[in-house]
Amino acid sequence: MSLPIVFKEPQEKTTNMNNAVIELESVSVRYRVPEERIGTFKEYMIRRIQGKVKDRDFWALHDVDLKVHKGEVFGVIGRNGAGKSTMLKIVSRVLRPTKGRVRVMGCVAPLLELGAAFHHELTGRENIFLNAALLGHTQKQVEERFQKIVDFADISGFIDAPMRTYSTGMVARLGFSVATAWEPDILVLDEVLAVGDEAFQAKCHDRINNFRKNGATVLLVSHNTQVVKNICQRVAWIDQGVIQAVGVPEEIVQLYRGV
Amino acid sequence: MIIPNASADGDIIPVTIIRPSRGWKGIDFKELWRYRELLYFLIWRDIKVRYKQSLLGAAWAIIQPLLTMIIFTIFFGQWAGIPTDEVPQPVFYFAGILPWQFFQSGVSKSGISLVASRNLITKIYFPRIAVPIAPIIAGLLDFGLAFLILIVMMFFYGIVPTSTLWTLPLFLFLALLTAVGVGIWLAGLNVAYRDVGYVIPFLLQVWFFLSPIVYSSTIVPESLRPYYGLNPMVGVVQGFRWAIFGVGKPNLTDLCASIGVAIFLLVSGVFYFKRMERTFADVV
Repeated sequence: MSLPIVFKEPQEKTTNMNNAVIELESVSVRYRVPEERIGTFKEYMIRRIQGKVKDRDFWALHDVDLKVHKGEVFGVIGRNGAGKSTMLKIVSRVLRPTKGRVRVMGCVAPLLELGAAFHHELTGRENIFLNAALLGHTQKQVEERFQKIVDFADISGFIDAPMRTYSTGMVARLGFSVATAWEPDILVLDEVLAVGDEAFQAKCHDRINNFRKNGATVLLVSHNTQVVKNICQRVAWIDQGVIQAVGVPEEIVQLYRGV
Repeated sequence: MIIPNASADGDIIPVTIIRPSRGWKGIDFKELWRYRELLYFLIWRDIKVRYKQSLLGAAWAIIQPLLTMIIFTIFFGQWAGIPTDEVPQPVFYFAGILPWQFFQSGVSKSGISLVASRNLITKIYFPRIAVPIAPIIAGLLDFGLAFLILIVMMFFYGIVPTSTLWTLPLFLFLALLTAVGVGIWLAGLNVAYRDVGYVIPFLLQVWFFLSPIVYSSTIVPESLRPYYGLNPMVGVVQGFRWAIFGVGKPNLTDLCASIGVAIFLLVSGVFYFKRMERTFADVV
């Protein structure tokens, strides 16, 4: 493994420590990958007694230190399996780190997969309420924003149809619309900006920019280095669970491409 | 852990510290309160989806216990001649089937609930404990519908409710507590060991015969009674019949044992669940 090249963070001198809204302190995440899949209790017990339960440790993140400042759009790039999504899952509390500590200031709106929480038999209307409840919003809060959510997703004609009749684009639009209906302190986006047509993508970018202007922080993962260059202020390149470099998008993208 | 932290403009910004979790811990009630509507929406989802996807919808809640009652009356009542404490056989069975089906369907749905909602668990953070509890509470609707049939049957057989009827909700609550305790145990175990999915129907079948549904608990040998009473569903079914017909008053010691076991299942289930919770997103 090559030595991590860490660029001097440009803002480090001017911003004080408390400005970090997301702070990862030597965070490591280990997945235990069984050498063979032990799916049943009987098999597990037999192997345990024989002393044959062998797990291979796989460190999805290894001793990661990172600070994301308030109001930044921070991008994470890297190959498949580099640990990008694991990092987002840690920040949005879906996973817990094996070692280290994460400090997150404010509420996090996670968008790890658009429409993951939707139920296909329920109507769009019902799904909006269900999805918002999963994000911790109350019914009253949803009622206040309901029309805005529908308008943004542009699905008003289908709102009372079951979700299974929706196109992929409609599901994604509604997912994005619900998750971003309330301005979060931190918005976490996993590869979700690649959905929808160009017009909708432009709307998403507008909304993200507005959040940023109002002081929200955005953490996003993307394969699309062009998107990263366009909207991020800072980028981290991660490979094999280790942060290789952090800095301005152009330089980091170039480094990443130079591999 | 969430620590309130005053920002410069006076708003309170919650700071969340995420670190490795080790050892045993209880429920974070503050967080549950924040997500209070989530449980309501999960219950509502379970009910909606079930009634939408089935042709007969709510009628199933009535047909199922009714057919079960008819079969029991023919086989166990008429042919096998198992005594039913002087209560007309159909009502006797129905009063046992009611809490049992509530318990059985709640436990079987709860037990597989986490694995069934894996797409949620790996994508969004929310208090996971709501997932196995929701299907059990959703079962109260079916219970209510089937209860209407019981009222019709009592009217038909000219059974006048006794003064003990007010205790019925208490026994229903005991059934609910037991179902939640068993449900969260199985749901947590099922994530780690998928066998649990196959074990649940078998477990419930054994449990059915260990509860006095097709027989009266008076036929249980006296020497075995103390052990028999440890099954909380014995207390529930006995209690139901006592509350409705005023026969077979549950013995207080048995009842305390039932309640004790139910609470033990619930508390240990919650702790086990909380301990396993951190691994759910990895292995589910």
